[in-house]
Amino acid sequence: MNATVTARRTTPSSSPRPVRWRPRVDVVGLCGVVAMLGVWQAMSVHFGRVVPSPLTVANEMAKNFISAPTFRHYGIADAGYLDAILYTAGNVSMSMIAGGAAGIAFGLLTARRRLLRSALDPIFLTLGTIPIFIAAPFLLLWFGISRFSAVAIVAIYVATIVYAYSQRALYNLSPVYEQYAQTLGADDRRLFWDIMVPGTLPEILGGLRIALAGAWGLAAISELIGSQRGAGKVIQSLANSVDVKAIFCVLLLLGVVAAAIDALMALVISRVTAWNRAGGNDHE
Amino acid sequence: MNGSRSFNDRRVGVAALLALALVWQLMSVLFPMEIVPGVPMVPGWQVVVTRTFLSLSNFWEGGFGIPAASAGTPPSYGVAFLSLLFNSLDTFRRLALGFVIGGGIGFALGLLLSLSEWSNRFVGAPLRFIRALPLLAMIPLFQLWFGIADFGMVVFIAYGVGVIIFTSVINAVPRVPQIYRDNARTLGASKLRTFYTVTVPAILPEVRSAAVIAVGVGWAAALGAEYLGAQSGLGRIVVASEAFGYLDRMFLTAVVIIVYAAISTWLVERGFARLLRWA
Repeated sequence: MNATVTARRTTPSSSPRPVRWRPRVDVVGLCGVVAMLGVWQAMSVHFGRVVPSPLTVANEMAKNFISAPTFRHYGIADAGYLDAILYTAGNVSMSMIAGGAAGIAFGLLTARRRLLRSALDPIFLTLGTIPIFIAAPFLLLWFGISRFSAVAIVAIYVATIVYAYSQRALYNLSPVYEQYAQTLGADDRRLFWDIMVPGTLPEILGGLRIALAGAWGLAAISELIGSQRGAGKVIQSLANSVDVKAIFCVLLLLGVVAAAIDALMALVISRVTAWNRAGGNDHE
Repeated sequence: MNGSRSFNDRRVGVAALLALALVWQLMSVLFPMEIVPGVPMVPGWQVVVTRTFLSLSNFWEGGFGIPAASAGTPPSYGVAFLSLLFNSLDTFRRLALGFVIGGGIGFALGLLLSLSEWSNRFVGAPLRFIRALPLLAMIPLFQLWFGIADFGMVVFIAYGVGVIIFTSVINAVPRVPQIYRDNARTLGASKLRTFYTVTVPAILPEVRSAAVIAVGVGWAAALGAEYLGAQSGLGRIVVASEAFGYLDRMFLTAVVIIVYAAISTWLVERGFARLLRWA
């Protein structure tokens, strides 16, 4: 699943040196991006009414990025796209922290306890299957239209994904490592910090990354259903007044921020788990 | 979560789900507040299987000689069942069409563009961005482009499913070990034959996990598409119930969808298990 994490080569002789990140420009891929923009432009020529051109969208973005007086007409704060995306990013971060912590804790707890695992697996699976269009109104009615509800909704889905990954990470970690450490006299604390954490970290981080990718859309939907701020709220208000170029702006902004943070996370993961590849122990 | 589960594990799992249902019942006793008169905040099972289920009669649009609910057919369990059945079938139809069309196009296009390493890289980069666009938030845009009738919904589901399958193919093909292909080539297989007999089977395990994810996304997309303006289907029941604060109807629909999603996931997994008997 982690296809986009491209392993960067490190020389084994210089192990203490941190992995240097060298951005490689994929010319072919860049051509693909340019071609995509070209297709978009061509579409806008043909379907100008419902597909705004890239330039129109860029203009709209520049004009209303910091503050958007026109938003007032739609009944939302005139704070512009930046405020909307920051609010959504805040919701996503809080959901990732809360949901991630719960998912990791329960996943690790159940990995080596069969009974607990068979009991909690179907519950987490069921929670993850509840469609957000039903879960969101429930939480909004129970806890009111608040930031807490918006964060809680996304956190539930994050937790179910991270749960599955953390559980599998520890489940797949060969007990040989622990036994070996124990014969060398390691106590529980050292077992945890020196064996379990490094042994499960790559897969858990991979799970967090997948959860993060989905969290943006879920956060936007939870705002679309019931919130006063954020990217989803802006989309909902603009959709009602059929402002296509503005909808494009919000969606693109969400996409760009999500892709950028995903790339950043891939970079962090590759640095944090650099030893994982250096040892040739790549079990992806 | 792991392939082989013993009978005992399954019993514990069922017991856990029953416990969850029991906790729900307990909560309905502890929090008896009502959101609208007669509709509790936490609808207990005794409400859900009686009054709530009956109320689904309201969504009966007529047929089989039974007039529509709006024409004065009194609620009954039979009509409620028919209503649930036909609204489910509408959603199934959209989902199945979208899944087959989107999955088929995604798979075929992914393979076609993976015939050469260059075209794979060419589409890979913009794809990474397109994939980052939040799917469900794009519903208003799709409605604008393709309308709110069945066509628009199917296109939306197909897009959601297609992007996932397409991405998995584009990612999986370059990771097929070169030695497999070389081996087939030294045995005299043509490039095309190697592609069909080596590369395509080799990526299927990865496409399987993508397809399972796509089932879940497909359900979310189907419901989302219906949520914003369908005249029939489970999503319409949800949105009509939400407008009046009928939490119990939404809860019942959620339970039904969870069951459907579990069944459809199982079906897709079984289908792939047959395809992948050799693996």
